[in-house]
Amino acid sequence: MNESRRIALLGLLVPGAVLVLWQVVAFAKSSPLFPGPIEVTQAIIRNWHEIVSNLGVTLMRAAAGFALATVIMVPLGIFLGRVRWLGEAVSPVIDLVATLPPPAIVPLVMLFAGTGDAAKIVIITYAAGMPLIMNTYEASHTIHPMFSRVARSLHLTRFETMLLIDLPSSLPMIATGARLAVASSLLVSITSEMLLATNGIGVYLQRSQENFQIGSGLAGIAFISAVGIVINALAYRIEQKLLFWHYRR
Amino acid sequence: MTDILTARNVAKDFGGTGGTLSIIDGLNLAVKKGEFVSLVGPSGCGKTTLLLCLAGLQSLTRGEITFKGVPVMEPPQGLAVVFQDYSRSLLPWNTNLDNILFGMRRVAGDARAKRDRAAELLEAVGLGGFGGHYPWQVSGGMQQRVAIARGLASESELLLLDEPLAAVDAQTRADMQDLFLDLARKFNQTCLLVTHDVEEAVYMAQRVLVLGPRPTKVVREVTIELPRERDQLETREDPAFLAARHEVLSLIRSMRTRKAA
Ligand SMILES: Nc1ncnc2c1ncn2[C@@H]1O[C@H](COP(=O)(O)OP(=O)(O)O)[C@@H](O)[C@H]1O
Ligand SMILES: [Mg+2]
Repeated sequence: MNESRRIALLGLLVPGAVLVLWQVVAFAKSSPLFPGPIEVTQAIIRNWHEIVSNLGVTLMRAAAGFALATVIMVPLGIFLGRVRWLGEAVSPVIDLVATLPPPAIVPLVMLFAGTGDAAKIVIITYAAGMPLIMNTYEASHTIHPMFSRVARSLHLTRFETMLLIDLPSSLPMIATGARLAVASSLLVSITSEMLLATNGIGVYLQRSQENFQIGSGLAGIAFISAVGIVINALAYRIEQKLLFWHYRR
Repeated sequence: MTDILTARNVAKDFGGTGGTLSIIDGLNLAVKKGEFVSLVGPSGCGKTTLLLCLAGLQSLTRGEITFKGVPVMEPPQGLAVVFQDYSRSLLPWNTNLDNILFGMRRVAGDARAKRDRAAELLEAVGLGGFGGHYPWQVSGGMQQRVAIARGLASESELLLLDEPLAAVDAQTRADMQDLFLDLARKFNQTCLLVTHDVEEAVYMAQRVLVLGPRPTKVVREVTIELPRERDQLETREDPAFLAARHEVLSLIRSMRTRKAA
């Protein structure tokens, strides 16, 4: 058996052993507050529709917030990097704002956006936007002077320079920011539902917990993890495609 | 013939924490239209700094540079640069062909004609099969040739070249020198070549300007009394070539011993 197969086998063996151990303990305790993997699987099947529709709502809001954050923050970060005096004036403000945890802005957002979808999307946009603008600005204002010389000597306009030089050369760091932004969009999408309850997987989790349906709650968590894995894999593929020139170099 | 590029009394200081560093002081030069001029000087004497100043990419401390009679403040239209730092001057997210096309953004003509021209230039620098490769997939010498092709692609009246052949092996360098002379003559390209290689400076140019130690200026102008047609074997054995080479080398050596004394 070669090394990589042994590692793959180990990767299956360990979680398998954990599941078995979990089931054994659950069986021994035989309490509704300690469901085993079999009960959780049953809960997944039982609540399939409810979980999927709630998670769908949560993901849509996360995606909307992430997309909005990208569309606003990436161009803004590039612009601030190119217009030096403005960047230098604004970046301390960004650093300051970024220290605010997203839940802290919830009351403020509720004040003018209520508690509906708009409010949640605003909070997600904020949470996803901070790592995006910080990374984009960091990359674009530390661009190698050689790139700027090339742009100037080829007489590119400022807009062309930002689009054709600054954006691609900042992409590796933007990708790092985007990875953080994806994670916090999901997280904040779920937590914002717990604070501003209407629907979504966060509400589902909260309800399960309040009704002591631990199995249903774990079913929801298992679903979120699965979706998280898929999203990460997708993001990885997109990143490799956009940044092959950076990674293969 | 008229001067396309002039530098009058140019000085450049770099300010640092340890006081100012004077790199160029009292430098004068002129390049005529259609000429091939070499600027030769030891490493670190300020050649790249001077070239960036001439290209409008770096501000002057004193003096004036004109291109086609107009003072240079920003990089002027009609002036292209092949940078010494070729590995950074090519865009890694673009293929070699697209890098050359990038140099043609301000050139008139439809996309198809430009593509053909870019491919033709790539062929001319001996990289016909590498248009679809990325700069980081080819050797340093090949990257430098892509950068040269991009410089030629801009169809500029004046081409500034900063040690464009420093990274290529001896045989390729000889080939590139001839190719370059060929292209320069064919397109009547005015060139200012910066190099630390005295033989190359003399072989390529009609006029060699020798730079002094820092703060640098042009300390001697040597006119090369050779026909424009050059040949790697015959030119290098020509008495005029040897005399010019001797003059430049002995001048550089005298500067070095004076510095050591
Ligand atoms: N931006 C800069 N700031 C301070 N010193 C510089 C800068 N650029 C170049 N120098 C200094 O100027 C001197 C000449 O450099 P350069 O023009 O690159 O020489 P060359 O091209 O002849 O080798 C070097 O000592 C270098 O350290
Ligand atoms: Mg140099």
